[in-house]
Amino acid sequence: MEHSVEEIKKGIKVHLIEDSKFKTNLISVFLTTPLSREYVTYDAVLSSVLRRGSKNMPTQEAISKELEEMYGAEFDCGLDKTGDNHVLKFYLESINDKFIPQNDINMLKTSIEKLIEIIFNPYIKEDNFKKEYVEQEKNKIKQIIEAKIDNKAKYALDRCIEEMYQDKPYGLYKYGYVEDLEKIDNKNLYKYYKDLISKCKIDIFISGEINEDTIDIIKENTNIKLLEDRNPIYNSSDNDDLETTEEKQITESMEVTQGKITIGMHIADISEEEKYSALVYNSILGGTANSKLFQNVREKASLAYSASSNYMRYKNNIFINCGIEIKNYEKALEIIRKQLEDIKNGDFTDEDIKNAKKGIVSAINGIKDEQDTKIMYFLGQELTNMNVDLEQYISKVQAVNKDDILNIANKIKINTIYFLKD
Amino acid sequence: MIYFISIKESMQIIENLKIKEKLYTEKLENGLTVMIIPKKNIQKKYVIFGTNYGSNDSKFVVPGEETVTEVPDGVAHFLEHKMFEQENGVNSLDKLTSLGVDANAYTTNDHTAYLFECTDKFYEALDELMDYVQNPYFTDENVEKEKGIIGQEIMMYDDYPDWRLYLNTLQAMYHNNPVKLDITGTIDTISKIDKDILYKCYNTFYNPSNMALVVCGDFEPSELLEQIKSRLSNKKSNGDIKRIYPDEPENIVKENIEQKMEVSMPIFTIGIKDIVANDKEKVKKHIAIEILLNMIIGRSSELYKKLYDEGNILSEPSLDYEFSKKYAHILITGKSNAPEEIYKEFKNIINTIKEEGINEQDFSRIKKMIYGEYIREYDDVADVARMFLADYFKGINSLDYIEEIDLVNLEYATSILKDVFKEDKMVLSVVRS
Repeated sequence: MEHSVEEIKKGIKVHLIEDSKFKTNLISVFLTTPLSREYVTYDAVLSSVLRRGSKNMPTQEAISKELEEMYGAEFDCGLDKTGDNHVLKFYLESINDKFIPQNDINMLKTSIEKLIEIIFNPYIKEDNFKKEYVEQEKNKIKQIIEAKIDNKAKYALDRCIEEMYQDKPYGLYKYGYVEDLEKIDNKNLYKYYKDLISKCKIDIFISGEINEDTIDIIKENTNIKLLEDRNPIYNSSDNDDLETTEEKQITESMEVTQGKITIGMHIADISEEEKYSALVYNSILGGTANSKLFQNVREKASLAYSASSNYMRYKNNIFINCGIEIKNYEKALEIIRKQLEDIKNGDFTDEDIKNAKKGIVSAINGIKDEQDTKIMYFLGQELTNMNVDLEQYISKVQAVNKDDILNIANKIKINTIYFLKD
Repeated sequence: MIYFISIKESMQIIENLKIKEKLYTEKLENGLTVMIIPKKNIQKKYVIFGTNYGSNDSKFVVPGEETVTEVPDGVAHFLEHKMFEQENGVNSLDKLTSLGVDANAYTTNDHTAYLFECTDKFYEALDELMDYVQNPYFTDENVEKEKGIIGQEIMMYDDYPDWRLYLNTLQAMYHNNPVKLDITGTIDTISKIDKDILYKCYNTFYNPSNMALVVCGDFEPSELLEQIKSRLSNKKSNGDIKRIYPDEPENIVKENIEQKMEVSMPIFTIGIKDIVANDKEKVKKHIAIEILLNMIIGRSSELYKKLYDEGNILSEPSLDYEFSKKYAHILITGKSNAPEEIYKEFKNIINTIKEEGINEQDFSRIKKMIYGEYIREYDDVADVARMFLADYFKGINSLDYIEEIDLVNLEYATSILKDVFKEDKMVLSVVRS
């Protein structure tokens, strides 16, 4: 697995990840721009409009047919909140030439060209996006925003983050806001698009069976040639802007059979090295079936089916998630608080640390078998200006000791407790 | 293009040259089937140990007995939860997790499986997996405790509109087949489960002759097979288990079913009840149905374009053909403000295609796509192992899909369109606020 990077123009980087063990090649393009209330909804509509058609494939149907013809190449796009940035993601995955029965096309080259065309050479009508497309996609984004309530556990997490980061970029919902959709039309969206692609940070990843010449496919691409050098504006993603406050408790009602607790916690003033300790801390707290939360909330107290925690590296937050019977809220909360206290008091063994590390190391090693996760890992490195490869990452995890974990346990503070009930 | 390369002792090697993968398989003396799919240069190793026993198997004759045994719904899933507990107080899930492996288990209508994925400590973890699946330990106390956890799981599913939608569809299609029931059972049925019932079901269905073990990862197959053999307890094959399923008429129960739940937009499933194909035709029929579904309402279809432009659908519906040895049905699931409209259009377009014939160009393009989809299923060790296990319990060798796709021609697809896509076998299930 080789990873190499070349800045082909100022602000535009091509990352090549060579690995020939897969059945497919994966191409990803990321456009990174600062998150802002003003434009978050534009980003969402834009990413949706781009998939409607390109210059040579003017309709969704034409794109689909093209992809089917390419033995079912998969194309998708999406949005990510990466720290204080909004990342517009585009993927195209197609099978390797080796597995194609009658091979008359160069699948990798075709795939790169199609994806680049969809992003950088969209379907234009009278110098703007097609009006119909924009209106239809606005409607679609509206539905996606309204669908926030459908997955209750996810909704509880989103609401908790929103409460923690009120009036801050990270508190924004990645698909934006219904009230902002009205202001968007095919003209201002196209203007926004032109502005975005001339200023945003662009990262292109190609993973799979590739060689040195692969990069030339990109360099020689007409659509890429038209892009200009830029000083990309974006936030180094690990900007920590959460003030320490009193614990906030929020309870909301919805039609649910099971109550959902999300507890948002924050680790203030954390160094890069301490982040590895936070990862191990999280694993002991709620990262696995051995963890304090799983063992005590689910197995011993029989209060929940799910009880876990996640560490969000960019913002130094840990979120605890539990689905419980509504009447057991106080009891569950008490047990959760006790777990936090127990870790702070050093109530965990060297065995616990060792096991937590094993789980993390195994997950990191597993990244090598997944093209998409590997790409996301290197994008994360890129956006935080880091250059830690997977082996270095593992040795940093291995170096964490008990004192490091206690240090995190003493720094971590509950910021918001969110409870969704009936 | 499948080749039987050699039969060394009793291990059979099947190679597929298109996909460049090999399957090593052997039925051991005690009846256990072992399947190994080696993958070079992959870090991850995945093993899955399954029994051909799922939520549908509530009525059966224990080998050697005369009378029929009937147990409450939800036993297979309850057993899955309880298998991790060991007599020495160790919970095997904890033990596996502490080895750094990712362990889990699941229950379906027709099988239950125990598995782990790892990058290291494979054989230590295999010790634990094979030990706990072969050695149950149930007590009154640990069975009672689990009722609380499973009760929470049942309530969690009650909040999933998608799950309700799915079960409602099955209830509209099936009169008696237990596939229409919750895999978990209900709070009421699980309250009747005790340790004797668990042991009885365990001893009946967790016999090696009713089980299979599949491994995918970077292994030398014969060495791995020896390792597996050395971990087997000396249970003897107990012969066939007679399973009793209620008779199921071919017709549906009712065409429409609706439930009120809090959803931002109505969700719908169009179901088509089908009859189980004979063993020889299963794979071919499955492929033909996948191609047809994509032609009718897939992302490049005229119907999808129309529905999208009218704002009646926002993204591609999911298209599935589900079947076991006892049932078969098509499910088309999506989100829409106008499910009834989609249902009507769906019926119309099928009639049009039946009249005008299948477009040859579309057919060959979609076939290419399906071929590509089969190829990609071989990149992830977990997908590979799970697929081989699930297919095995249906009486299918997964590699057959890549072979038989060439056999599916326009004529065959036309006959399937006529035989399967029938209006009187269709149902519409909707969940809306």
